[in-house]
Amino acid sequence: MPPLLSVERLTKYFAGLAALKDVSFEVEEGQICGLIGPNGAGKTTLFSIIAGSVSPSSGTITYSGKDVTRWKSFQAVRAGVARTHQITRPFRSMTTRQNVEIGLHFGRGPASGSTWGEVAEILEGVGLGRVADRPAASLCVGDQKRLELARTLAAKPKLLLCDEVCSGLTETEMNEVLDLLRRIRGRGTTILYVEHNMRAIMSTCDQVVVLNFGEKLTEGPPLKIQNDPAVIEAYLGKTAAD
Amino acid sequence: MRAASTQMGRFLNYRVAGWGTLLIVLGILPWFGISSNLTRLLFTALVWIIASVAWNLLGGVTGQVSFGFAVFYGLGAYAAAMGINGGLHPLAAFTISGLVAALASIFIGLPTFRLRGPYFAIATIGVSEAVRVVMTNLSFTGGASGYRIAEHGRFRPLEHYYTALGFSAVAVVISAWIHESKFGLSLQAVREDEEAAADIGVNPLKAKLMVHLLAATLTGIAGGVYARYAAYIHPQGVFGFHTSVAILLMPIIGGAGTVAGPVIGGFVYGLVQEELVAAFPQFHLLLYGALLIVIILFEPRGVTGWLGRLRGFIERIWRKSATASVG
Ligand SMILES: Nc1ncnc2c1ncn2[C@@H]1O[C@H](COP(=O)(O)OP(=O)(O)OP(=O)(O)O)[C@@H](O)[C@H]1O
Ligand SMILES: [Mg+2]
Repeated sequence: MPPLLSVERLTKYFAGLAALKDVSFEVEEGQICGLIGPNGAGKTTLFSIIAGSVSPSSGTITYSGKDVTRWKSFQAVRAGVARTHQITRPFRSMTTRQNVEIGLHFGRGPASGSTWGEVAEILEGVGLGRVADRPAASLCVGDQKRLELARTLAAKPKLLLCDEVCSGLTETEMNEVLDLLRRIRGRGTTILYVEHNMRAIMSTCDQVVVLNFGEKLTEGPPLKIQNDPAVIEAYLGKTAAD
Repeated sequence: MRAASTQMGRFLNYRVAGWGTLLIVLGILPWFGISSNLTRLLFTALVWIIASVAWNLLGGVTGQVSFGFAVFYGLGAYAAAMGINGGLHPLAAFTISGLVAALASIFIGLPTFRLRGPYFAIATIGVSEAVRVVMTNLSFTGGASGYRIAEHGRFRPLEHYYTALGFSAVAVVISAWIHESKFGLSLQAVREDEEAAADIGVNPLKAKLMVHLLAATLTGIAGGVYARYAAYIHPQGVFGFHTSVAILLMPIIGGAGTVAGPVIGGFVYGLVQEELVAAFPQFHLLLYGALLIVIILFEPRGVTGWLGRLRGFIERIWRKSATASVG
């Protein structure tokens, strides 16, 4: 079976600075694929290109067998590719519920005409039921992180791009989110997961891609990646601190 | 879930009852021997309300602050004037007003909606002034000396009044629907964060073009209704920058982004504008400028915001006195 997503020789320059250089990798359907690398490695940029909000300087992206290199983000969402934002971007004056409703309506569509039950289910799933009717601006950091995930899930992605959904959460909260990601994958969603926390990566991912200074350093199963001297060197200081 | 939906239902009923009462009061008011001057003022306010409600859909709900609504108002006015002079039924003429303004909204929206925030606002000023200059020099519409409507038959003020009332009711219904609908949710999302909206499937350009078209249509009709009443229009008036400012001022005074706000703003503006101009012929615009700054700094939701605070305040006192009497 061909991969769900394939990235080929992707390059992105920002005013002469290469944020991504010749990056290629594939994600199989049903996988949770980790994407790691030190700060500034180009992970978020890669997400923005796959999700259609930034166009690459060169290279191609193939999704479900189709060339989608320069699609627009709303087209990506409707085709089943949706991302979360590393820095949360809630619709601040709208309620938590409304934030999720928009995802439901404008993504791949609600299950039935009435969205009330489905929205409630998604909110309960991420633990936001108790703040459903509060304006999103009033939520604490952890809840805004959850809302970011809930809103994206409401769009029913086939390929979910998660950008550091666990940063700023406590250990328990993190485990809840990781459980949720595994459940989502269980329902057939493929996940590309950016994370700095190695424990999170080790416990959820089937495969890991490592970026460093915009280039692919290596890829493989998490255990192999964890013990790879080149990866340890790229992360030096960071892994030691963890 | 049941509780929440019946609560929603009750809330909707209260609102429908409130708007219905207002409509009935305005409908029967002329039969209670009000002065012709008050009828005229109410007519003016109702025409402004149509434009105010329309602007709010783009400026308040979608967050795209346009200084160019005089284009739609003016085009609507000229279209209706020429239609009526050409022998069309007034309602057919107003339909053409709406269509012409709608068409213009696409030509203006396509290039300007690529700009964000203040850049969009500045671009709309440019477009609006360009249209005014063109209209001032266009000979078949009478150029700067204006255009006269020669309608046969007696002048019937109440016919104009009810036309304005009817269209403002339609505008409020459309506005209320948008505030509740899926389309309205996407507009609010675009206002809050255009990129994030696109990232969950909203097409921001399409959303903006659609709401712009709707707002332009309503504003064009408002211009048409006004033109038929005034029987004489000229570019400095209907296409004037002060017309754009008035259309933006009303919803902001009343409360941008709400259903009631633009209506309140339209009434306030329509009823006090003439007095204000008479009292401060030089300074009334300055006064509006100052008012705008105060509102933006202290209460972005305008009058509806103040009313909301007042209600919160009364409820707190009420609760306090209730607990005090229990204790
Ligand atoms: N819009 C932009 N304009 C200019 N430079 C950018 C832009 N976005 C990212 N960059 C640069 O591209 C490089 C990669 O940034 P990116 O955000 O993709 O890294 P990251 O791997 O997500 O880092 P982090 O772990 O800190 O989130 C950085 O050097 C960054 O400064
Ligand atoms: Mg990042």
